[in-house]
Order: sequence, then structure tokens, then C-alpha cells
Amino acid sequence: MEVLKTIRPELLTLSQEQLNCLLPYFTVFGGTCLSIVLSVWGGLKPKWPVFLVTSLTCIIAMFLGSSSGDGTSHTLFNGMMVADAYSQFFNVIFLGAALFTIFSSFRYLDDEKLQHPEYYVLVMFAALGMMLMASALDLIVIFIALELMSLSVYILVGFRRNDRKSNEAAMKYFILGSAASAVLLYGSALIYGATGSTEIRSVLKFLQEHPQSLNPIFGLGFALVLFGFLFKVASVPFHMWMPDVYEGAPVPVTGFMTTGLKAAAFATFVRILATMGYGNGISAAIQNHLHDVLWVSCALTMLLGNFIALTQVNLKRMLAYSSIAHTGYLLLGILSGTRSELGFAPGVMYILVYAAMNLGAFVILTLLAAEGDSKLNLHDLSGVARRHPWLAFAMSVFLLSMAGIPPTAGFAAKYLVFYSAIQANEIPLAVIGVLSSAVSVYYYLRVLVYMYMKDPVGSPPVLRISLWSGLAVAAMILITIQVGVLPERMIDLAKRAVLSL
Amino acid sequence: MSVEPWVVLSFCAMIFFIGFTGVLIRRNILVVLMSIELMLNAVNLTFVTFSKHLQHMGGQMSVFFVITVAAAESAVGLGLVIAMFRTLRSVDTDQIQFLKE
Repeated sequence: MEVLKTIRPELLTLSQEQLNCLLPYFTVFGGTCLSIVLSVWGGLKPKWPVFLVTSLTCIIAMFLGSSSGDGTSHTLFNGMMVADAYSQFFNVIFLGAALFTIFSSFRYLDDEKLQHPEYYVLVMFAALGMMLMASALDLIVIFIALELMSLSVYILVGFRRNDRKSNEAAMKYFILGSAASAVLLYGSALIYGATGSTEIRSVLKFLQEHPQSLNPIFGLGFALVLFGFLFKVASVPFHMWMPDVYEGAPVPVTGFMTTGLKAAAFATFVRILATMGYGNGISAAIQNHLHDVLWVSCALTMLLGNFIALTQVNLKRMLAYSSIAHTGYLLLGILSGTRSELGFAPGVMYILVYAAMNLGAFVILTLLAAEGDSKLNLHDLSGVARRHPWLAFAMSVFLLSMAGIPPTAGFAAKYLVFYSAIQANEIPLAVIGVLSSAVSVYYYLRVLVYMYMKDPVGSPPVLRISLWSGLAVAAMILITIQVGVLPERMIDLAKRAVLSL
Repeated sequence: MSVEPWVVLSFCAMIFFIGFTGVLIRRNILVVLMSIELMLNAVNLTFVTFSKHLQHMGGQMSVFFVITVAAAESAVGLGLVIAMFRTLRSVDTDQIQFLKE
């Protein structure tokens, strides 16, 4: 075939600028490989070295990622990847999620007798997969990055090897997740067949040049990719796996999944929609279908997530359903992104805010969990405020933020999302969103009532709070309150990220 | 003799659908894993068919990556099956009911 003869050497070399853009990825990869070596080094207790290397890697990569870019976007590897303000923004979220998951897991793994170095390595590989996902421009690269992330997380979910719940959750997640990945891949194959390329930009170019080529094959392919992503972000009706998996996974892993995984899936979703011309008037028919599918899914997700969360007594399960509800708000931000002045910025900012407050809440749940992740029911929280006033205060900040009460970050983010929904003339969805958000206040406040107003049952043990978990909680509190009081800076960052798409 | 692309493509779609149905209705986890492999292989065949049809190498390159990922996936899947068998003494999806509401 002709293509084989046209390999150009300049496509295989990297310029200095491109190398700079890739440094965070190389750092994470190198640090992870180093931790693999350290974890099997003879005569070395791997616990501390691996912990230190992985956390340092995260910090260095975060620093490199946020300082290296000059705001312009660099296309890498022959248009398969791009490093721009958008991928930078998300890289910081993913690395932050990985870092604070590692911090909060350190003592937890000791307590649960699960202290194996593989845990940290898998978290790092998952983070690398997320970073690649958010910067991929090619459907095959997206698939590989998605699998790198998912395979690591399947193992993390089943990390408590001798526990039946954890095994079942991992198995369930694996089967449904692989099937969804296969559906997404089949969609990519059909798009490739219809347009002759897997690169998102070339697909768009081809469609603009040949408008008549919007055949059923492309439509089906696009629909399958869409369903694959809706599964990954767990929006209704593809949400069934989520509460079970969240309940069965070890608590810090659940925290990592709600923040990192969801942010990665949304980041890629927004990039595909924005690049494929959602809003550019590429084809009225596809756009209307897309809008309808997202509309229905968004409305159902907000309603179902919030109403089922009302009946939950297990905190992990309650936060899982609340996470489904937040997916609904995120979808609302994306749905209205094309027709409001702020664009996708409110949705992107919501992802960051949601990641911060949810990660914080799960770090606290990790501290509260007794052996085997038990004692996470509502009544186990009775009187926590008396024993641990600071912990209760932190949990209250996160829960109030999730409910969207000022002056927390959740309020600012929700306000922006609903504002842009109204600007985009999605009044019914905005009404559903606000009302279901009002419902959510009930189950968030109920936790506060138990913590502050109920007497403790029996004599629960005093918790030992490790330095690392304390650091993680403090950082998340700082973000939650800082963004809540002064949201302008974060909005600017989100705007810059979205503009580079 | 040449085969029309649409014949192969419908064949792929059929295999994919059989795999998808297998994931949904079969009870033995090993069969479910095989069904997932079936779906991925249907995708591979689709890629190759389009690649031949379009005279474009990209599709055939993609197949290599998909094969690699499928191998990694079955390794992880079988590992999880073994871990589950140790605690559950069964590879039947009907036994997975500990987490139901």
C-alpha cells in the first residue's frame, strides 16, 4: 500500500518544545517504573520507598505540568495527542486525585493489612491513563488510555483479595466495563470506516468536506461511542454498576474512582464533542439527536441519583448515588455549553470542584471506616463531632459544598452551571436541576444531624488521624473554601482551558 | 473471487451482537470472558475490512493495539476470576448477589 512508503522521519522526532510538553507524562511513567523496581528490590522493605517515590512523582509532574506550558497548544505524535491548556488543567486534577488517594491510603492499608506496593503502582498507572485520555486526539489512543486506566482500577477495586464483596464488585465492574469498552471500540471502528480516519480532527475535516457522507454507519458509530462514554460516567440508564462497585471497593479506591475516573471520562467526552463540532453546525440531524439523548439522560440522572440517595443508610452507597446526581449536573453543563457565553467552562469547573469536595469526603470516610470497611452507616457517625470536632467540621464543609450552599465551591460551580443552562434556553432542565438539588440537601444535612446532634452509640474507639490524611483533608478544605469565596480565578482557568480546545 | 465488504461487515456485526448477548445472558463467567473476546475480535475484523476497503493502513495498525489490550484484559479478567473463585467457590454469575440492595 502507498502509505507505507510515505513515512516521514520528521514525524518520528520530537522538538524541544514537544519534549517539554511531554515531560509530565514521562515523569509519571518513569516514577511508576521506578516504584515497580523498588517494590521487588531484594532486602528492601518497599512500603516507604514506594510511597515516597509515587507521591514525589505526582508532585513533580504536577509542577512540571502547570509550569511548562506557554498557553499554546502543541500537537504531538503526528496529531494523535495534544498538549494544551485543557489537558494541563485536567492533568493537575488527575495527579492531585492520585496524590491525595495515595496519602489517604497509606495508614488505611496498614490497618487493613493490605500494605502491598502494587497498590501505589496501580494508582499511578491509572493516573497516567487518565492523563493520556484527556490529551488524546485519536479514537484508538483514547481506547488504549481508557483501558490502561480501567484495567488498573479493576484490580484496585478487587484489591481486598480475601473479601467477598470486593471480589464481586471487581468482577461486576470488569465484565460491564469491558463490554462498554468493546462497544466504544466498535463505534470507533465504524467511524473509521465511514470517514477513513480515527483522528478526531480528520474525521471532522472529512465530514465538512463530504457532508453527504453522513451515512448510517457514521451515525451508528457515533451513537456507540456516545453510549460507551455515558456508561463510563455512569449516567442513567447506564448507572447500574456504580453503587455496587463503589460499595465493594476499598474506601480510598472509591474516592479515586469518583474523582479521577469521572473527571477523565468527562474530559475526553467534552474534548470529543468540542472537536467533533458539537455546536459548530456540522449536521443538524446528528446535533439534534445528540441533544435529545443527552437531555433525557441528564434529566433522569439528576432525578434518579438524588431520589435514590434519600433512602440510603450506608454512607458509601449514599455518596455513590450522590455521585450519579452530580454526573447529571455535569451533563447539564456540557449540554448547555454550546449556546451560552461561558461555553464549556462551567462544566469543566464543576468537574474540578466536584473532584475536590468528593475526594475530601472520601478521605474522611477512609478515616472513619473500621476494619473491612464496616461501620460506615449513618448511625455509626453519631456524636463524631464530640470526639473529633475538626473532622466533623471538615465533613460538614464537604457535604455543604456538595449540597451547594454558599460560601463553598459547590455553590459557585452549581450557580454557574444553572446560569449557563438558562442562557442556553434549557429552562426545564435547569428547573429539574434546582429542584433535585433541593432534595439533595435533605440527605446531606442528615449526616450533619447525626454527627452533631445524636449521642454516640456505645463507646466507639478514638480514631488515629495520620499526618498524610490530615494534609489531604486540609488541602481539599482550602480548595473548597477558596473557590467558594473567590471563584474568579478558577473560572478564568477553566475558561482558558476550554478556549484551547 | 472477492467478497463484498458489506458481507464481511454484516458478519462482524453479527459476531459482535452474539458476543454482546453472551455477556448479558450467560451465567458462567468464563463464557462471559469469551464473549468479551468475541466482541473485541469482531471489532478487529471490522477494522481490517474497512482498512482493505479504504486502502488505508490505519485500521490494520489499530488491530495490533486492540489485540494487545485484549490480551491484557483477559489476563486481568482471569486473575479476578481466580480471586473470586477462592472466596466464592463458584464461577457462576448467579452467585454474585452479595451487593444487591
